[in-house]
Amino acid sequence: MEYYSLHVYTLPFARLVYLLVPQVFNMVFTPMSLLAEPGTRLPLMGNEAIARGVLEAGVYIVTGYPGTPSSEVIMTLQEYSRDLDIYVEWSVNERVALEVAIGAAISGARAMSTMKAPGLNVASDPLLSAAYSGVDGGLVVYVADDPGPHTTQTEQDSRWYGELAKLPLISPSSPQEAKDYVVASVELSEALGLPVLLRTTTRVSHTVGDVLLGEIKQPRKGRGFSKNPERFVRAGMDWNLERHKWLNSRLARVEELSAKLGLNKVIGAGELCIVTEGAALNYVLETVEEYSLSARVLKLGLLHPFPRGFILDNIRGCREILVVEELDPYIEQHLKTVLYDAGLFIPIRGKTTKHLPIEGELDKSIVLNALGLKQRDQPRSPHKTPRRPPPLCPGCPHRFTFLALKRAISKKGFKLSEVPVIGDIGCYALSVYKPIDMLWTEHSMGASVSMAMGLKLAGYDKPVVAVIGDSTLYHAGLQSLIEAVNKRVDLLVIVVDNGVVAMTGHQSTPAWSTSETGRILKPISLDELVKAVNPDELRIVDSYNYDELVGVFEEFIDKPGVKVVVSRHPCALLEARLKGVKTRYTVDVELCKGCKACLVVTGCPAIVMEGGRARIIQEDCNGCGLCTRFCPYNAIKQMG
Amino acid sequence: MVIRILIASVGGQGGLTLARVLAEAAVLSGLSVRTGETLGMAQRYGSVVSYVQVGSRVYTPKFTPGEADYLVGLELVESIRNIHYLKPSGVALVADEYRPPYTLSVENPFNTRDQAIELIKKLESKTIIIPARRLAIELGNPRAINMVMLGSLNAVSNIFSHDKVEQAVRKVLPARVVESSIKAYIKGYEYAQAIRNSFLA
Repeated sequence: MEYYSLHVYTLPFARLVYLLVPQVFNMVFTPMSLLAEPGTRLPLMGNEAIARGVLEAGVYIVTGYPGTPSSEVIMTLQEYSRDLDIYVEWSVNERVALEVAIGAAISGARAMSTMKAPGLNVASDPLLSAAYSGVDGGLVVYVADDPGPHTTQTEQDSRWYGELAKLPLISPSSPQEAKDYVVASVELSEALGLPVLLRTTTRVSHTVGDVLLGEIKQPRKGRGFSKNPERFVRAGMDWNLERHKWLNSRLARVEELSAKLGLNKVIGAGELCIVTEGAALNYVLETVEEYSLSARVLKLGLLHPFPRGFILDNIRGCREILVVEELDPYIEQHLKTVLYDAGLFIPIRGKTTKHLPIEGELDKSIVLNALGLKQRDQPRSPHKTPRRPPPLCPGCPHRFTFLALKRAISKKGFKLSEVPVIGDIGCYALSVYKPIDMLWTEHSMGASVSMAMGLKLAGYDKPVVAVIGDSTLYHAGLQSLIEAVNKRVDLLVIVVDNGVVAMTGHQSTPAWSTSETGRILKPISLDELVKAVNPDELRIVDSYNYDELVGVFEEFIDKPGVKVVVSRHPCALLEARLKGVKTRYTVDVELCKGCKACLVVTGCPAIVMEGGRARIIQEDCNGCGLCTRFCPYNAIKQMG
Repeated sequence: MVIRILIASVGGQGGLTLARVLAEAAVLSGLSVRTGETLGMAQRYGSVVSYVQVGSRVYTPKFTPGEADYLVGLELVESIRNIHYLKPSGVALVADEYRPPYTLSVENPFNTRDQAIELIKKLESKTIIIPARRLAIELGNPRAINMVMLGSLNAVSNIFSHDKVEQAVRKVLPARVVESSIKAYIKGYEYAQAIRNSFLA
């Protein structure tokens, strides 16, 4: 086996990233004063507001795994980490992140974990147990759902996790509330001794709005930990039964406590009642104002336990109720139960009555429609315009890997339509789009190798390829690799290693030697981890070495056993940002015949066709030169 | 008063930064603001739409087709894609930047920038085309197209004072590009101001 020294790329690359990190973030983020005085009004993105909320709540430990639309809480805090006496670091995955936070919170420290909705599925095991053990310091589990969906594999409604884990769940409607609810979550969590779920959606987390800042509190560290097996050991079944009773008794107090925090509100008056929460509240309020409706709006901030008392206090006299909420008919179902139990019959319109759609994101026109109103200015119909699916960036090393794989499959005499490429989560999933068009599946973190293994075990008689990124391998892919090697299946596993969590905005991986906050890390070598699993073959190749990649794939694709190729090259976008672009390419219009080969092979977004000739958008070219290889007329020239 | 601005761009052109500058300028001017965005999974090069609502009191981070007072297009194809967001009295300010997406490049390789300009003018007669790339390159920063368009928007809409915009640019953009960004803003302002009166007459 031939090893490419880890030191060639990962370590210097990681160090470089760290040294230049303030510049990276300044380009990604707008500098704003997270530490501004109380009483200052600032435009903050929901996630930035949550970061400020972390400081106002005195949270000491913040962990998480990157995932849109949740990542900016940790990224924002990390920018200021040198001025803050808090721990704020990315974890290897969401489950570990939450377990670290639980460990801190049982010693009395205030803690938070952040994740996107599918991340909460990964963290759900410790979440459910933590409900039985309880916490001493406030513990906030921040989860961001994505109606639309814009950037998430499912339109998961994490509000059900309140029910499933039997934990309080609160949901803000605006950046201001996002900040204030962090403080409320910590108060609620400490008053109850339970973790609290803080749940948002994209239109809260990624919305910029004006936010009035409050006081910053001293972070609360741990205060010690005393042995108490009845509470913390879930191996005792009698103890578990007792803890379940304890948990239920705590939940019974939530509504009363939350009333003091003012999470639920009545806005306006009238016999037409609208019950709503989260981002949907804004569409409702804007519609009510714009169309001068007389309506009573019940805004719920506490969603689990469902605020029965608040509903009953404020629902009487309603002629009919419209429930406006995103994703599942969660409020609708709970509301029906509450009214039934109280012997009230008020017609409820919502998703089950098809007044609002069950899929996709809401907007004002949907709310208008549910109210039986029409938009004042009828919009013109959109002009049919070709889609612009998200491509791999110019210079992306994954483009080399996939094109080389394509070439190798053909050279070995297989059809592209008979060699499944089982993908994973990360930028490389964008290879599903034309013209690369290589990915067959993309499911959940780490699923590539294990699903490919299942396909082989079921009897698939052609080669199967699994593709997984470096961070995804650390996150949940290693276990799949262990399984495949241990059970001796025949698989080609390609680890595409660009040294960073690229898709979510360039966060650190366990291979880094220094974190975003300057913390000195012990780098965990991906190569050594893979070596320890002991696959039948292992080769490490620079992704930009296209010919070598083709050769290795050809050699490995139908060989027995688990063959791992680590295709390694730093993320081109990050490299360009850190080091600048040394060379670029341009099309000689005299030589270009307009055959489109450069474009239809690579799909590079820096190449466009205009007036029958190819053109390279100068400032977008990252200088990889891959396109030159496919021009039959040598019309693509390197610039100085 | 509510002003709704839709910013249509290709990921990486600075559409989100432009929205953020507008949000800063709004708060500095004592106004309420909401911005939202629709972008794909990629870091860059996909279609990006930013919604900006400014007013004495605004709620939503998003609005619906037929509601925008202004469409600020950083690229022609994306502007064409989103032109239906304009309300009947709305005005489109569009950079003459042409970046056809992959499918358009492959299916209609002979299309040109001029055809795209002609199409958007046909779709919306109240369209002002801004030679944003030329103006930005004159200042030595081809990435400042977004700031040129910010100037054009403010010339036509007069939402903010120069002073507030400048402060907002200083807060949002990295120090090394602040000066060239402010210059680009002024260039865009002057260009649009010069043609505004004749155009809107």
